[in-house]
Amino acid sequence: MEFLNTIGGGALALLGAAIAAALACVGSAKGTGIAGEAGAGLVSEDPSKSGKALVLQVIPGTQGLYGFVIFFLAFNKVSASVASLTVAQGLQIVSACLPIALGGLLSAIAQGKVAAASINILAKKPDDWTKGMIMCVIVEFYAILCLLASFLMLGAINI
Amino acid sequence: MAIVTMKKLRLMVARSQKDELLRELIRLGCVEFSELEIDAQALEALHRPDSETLANKSDHAALLHAVAVLDRYAPEKKPMLSAPPEVDGDVLLDGSELGAALALAGEISAADDRIKRIGAEESRERAVMESLVPWLPLDLPLDVTETERCSVLLGSFPVKIPPDKVREAMAAVTDEAELFEVSADKRASYVMIVCVKEALPEMQEALRPFDFTAQSFPGMSGPARQCSAECGTALARLAREKEACEASIRDKASRRDALKLAADRAEAKLTLSEASDLALSTGDVLVMQGWLPAEKEAALEEVLTRFDCAWETEEPSEEEYPQVPVSLKNNKLTNALNMVTEMYSLPAYGTVDPNPLMAPFFILFYGLMMADIGYGIIMIAAALVAMKKLRPRGGSLAFCQLLLYGGVATAAMGVLTGAFFSDVPYQLVHLFNPKSTWPGLWHLFSPEYDSELVLYGSLVLGMLHLNTGMVVSAREKIRRGDKAGALFEEGSLWILLVGALLMAADMLLVHSAALHIAAIAVLVIGGVMLLFGAGRNAKGFGKVTAAFGCIYNTATGWFGDVLSYSRIMALMLAGGVVGKVFNTVAIMPAQSGGVNVFTMLAFVVIFVLGHAINFALNLLGCYVHDLRLQCLEFFGKFYADGGKPFRPLKFGGRFVRAKEN
Repeated sequence: MEFLNTIGGGALALLGAAIAAALACVGSAKGTGIAGEAGAGLVSEDPSKSGKALVLQVIPGTQGLYGFVIFFLAFNKVSASVASLTVAQGLQIVSACLPIALGGLLSAIAQGKVAAASINILAKKPDDWTKGMIMCVIVEFYAILCLLASFLMLGAINI
Repeated sequence: MAIVTMKKLRLMVARSQKDELLRELIRLGCVEFSELEIDAQALEALHRPDSETLANKSDHAALLHAVAVLDRYAPEKKPMLSAPPEVDGDVLLDGSELGAALALAGEISAADDRIKRIGAEESRERAVMESLVPWLPLDLPLDVTETERCSVLLGSFPVKIPPDKVREAMAAVTDEAELFEVSADKRASYVMIVCVKEALPEMQEALRPFDFTAQSFPGMSGPARQCSAECGTALARLAREKEACEASIRDKASRRDALKLAADRAEAKLTLSEASDLALSTGDVLVMQGWLPAEKEAALEEVLTRFDCAWETEEPSEEEYPQVPVSLKNNKLTNALNMVTEMYSLPAYGTVDPNPLMAPFFILFYGLMMADIGYGIIMIAAALVAMKKLRPRGGSLAFCQLLLYGGVATAAMGVLTGAFFSDVPYQLVHLFNPKSTWPGLWHLFSPEYDSELVLYGSLVLGMLHLNTGMVVSAREKIRRGDKAGALFEEGSLWILLVGALLMAADMLLVHSAALHIAAIAVLVIGGVMLLFGAGRNAKGFGKVTAAFGCIYNTATGWFGDVLSYSRIMALMLAGGVVGKVFNTVAIMPAQSGGVNVFTMLAFVVIFVLGHAINFALNLLGCYVHDLRLQCLEFFGKFYADGGKPFRPLKFGGRFVRAKEN
């Protein structure tokens, strides 16, 4: 506890905001990267499909956005009182940021794989590519739940 | 609003009149032909007439390919939203110009093939030119491999091997040899080695440890510079030829419309020949079988009386139901839901059309999940513009209608939740007047502050939705004569539900002992009925496992199904939150830098981009989750799928539409 006191609540709160943005963005970067590799392969064969490949590629990008939303809310909440936050308040912020940090990180990577597989659908059965999009959106739901969990927890913290 | 009643059609027509009859039927667009059901003995007397389908298919493909090639080399400039032109059915059935169009398509395809071959030749020439680059400094003709006494070797070493080392090794073989360095690049040094003929085999052996790669230039004469120039000339000639081919394709762009019409004519011809493939012939008479909607029988009769034919219709028997094609009779509201039903699977013939039941829930749920006046207005506007400009039919029409109704519901729910692009009115009012105490748009409930209420509301709606499905299921069971099934499966669940409601009323509102006992009694009756119902068809120990299975399935199934509706609240809240954050970010520059042109420009850019992302995500996300609630939770309660879609003989062209009668 003393160790935490030397760090201070403000640093902990900022750490929470940081992991919300950073981990979710890492997940999105990885997810869009996986989908982008597959998309580039397809576009090299058939450039006319680049628009649709792009749509599939950006789908795993939303987790980074959600992470940023939570970062933004957490940061706004603590920015005026970083110096005076207690360790308990700091840890509350960290806890509130965890769902989107971890959920965003892992769901974006999983969604990136689905998006890459959907790019195969786009290559082989172009008429059915929207079905691949639907499969991607199913993964998205869990990122949305993480976003909500983080959002509701942040709302409950009094500073 | 139900599944259209179908009748089976049997038809015999004189062979000479077959083509004319099929043309009339494709105009009518209400008969689907199927394989003839006939006993083996009768089948022997019949034979299949010759088919033209293969030839028609290849004609159709050739015309489509020609249109695609034309679009590639001379893209058509047309407004972004435009409906395909409409022509009379007779125009599509007129095959007189097909020959000329096929010749034109042949010319276009030939030019395209030539362009592809030119591409291959060009890369070959370029590869040769590339391989000649290291030898350009060499004046010796490339086809010289020996003189009277000497052999000439051209080749390369890896660049890391110093030429002097090679020279030493060569000197060890014979004095009468020389190495000339021609050029070097990053990978290799290119050399010419001259040695007396007798020493050649030994020399090759001596060079091997240095990774010497000999190079020869078959078919080339003269020095490298000259060969390279020849390649350049060939490339220029190929480029000219390619340009000429492309120009000849572009010249034909003026006949694009004729080509498109011909492609659709070929498609109509193909459709007709596929239908006539299903007929069997006795020689002069053709026998056919198919399905038609009962309501179209009079129209069919009117057509058939003009021909020398015998025909009969009959209602399908229950055993035939799996073969009967399914078409849903829809009005303007329920037609929108065809998109969902067709994507999932059509209902089996003789069961319930889910569209009218699903429509109010689907649209309401969509509105609840999206719930934003601004987004609703965009959806309504997009749907109306698309419907006016594209004049969609079939699946696209259903999509536009769904977008329209979803938009109306979204805007209506937006009014209830007070959301207009999330909370932008509130943010703007407080930006321009920081002292304002305006609390934002009026709302009945807010997903952000009344999230528990919204959650419970979602679950209650879910219960209503699931119970609607159960009512349908019970009604179907009673109609089929399975009254016990309806009583023990749906009935006992309803009794349990009533018991649960009584219990809830007792615990939360009334607190009366009598009510408590009544609630328990009702729950016990329901439970016993459920268990008895589950075990009633099982024997011996099977009754026990059936009962346990039933408890498990009912408990997990029902709780899972109802809780699944919490997604309504989750999506409603998520869309609002993300939108709100974008609004806050967009307004930040104006808050910190004051209201001026630049900060307002930043506001507009961030606002538009942010809401575009949020809108697109929600548009798709809400659709998918609404779909899931319908197809998994709701359909799970009553739906019997597996109907095969009704595909009548009708015009299905890609570029031109037949006028509807």
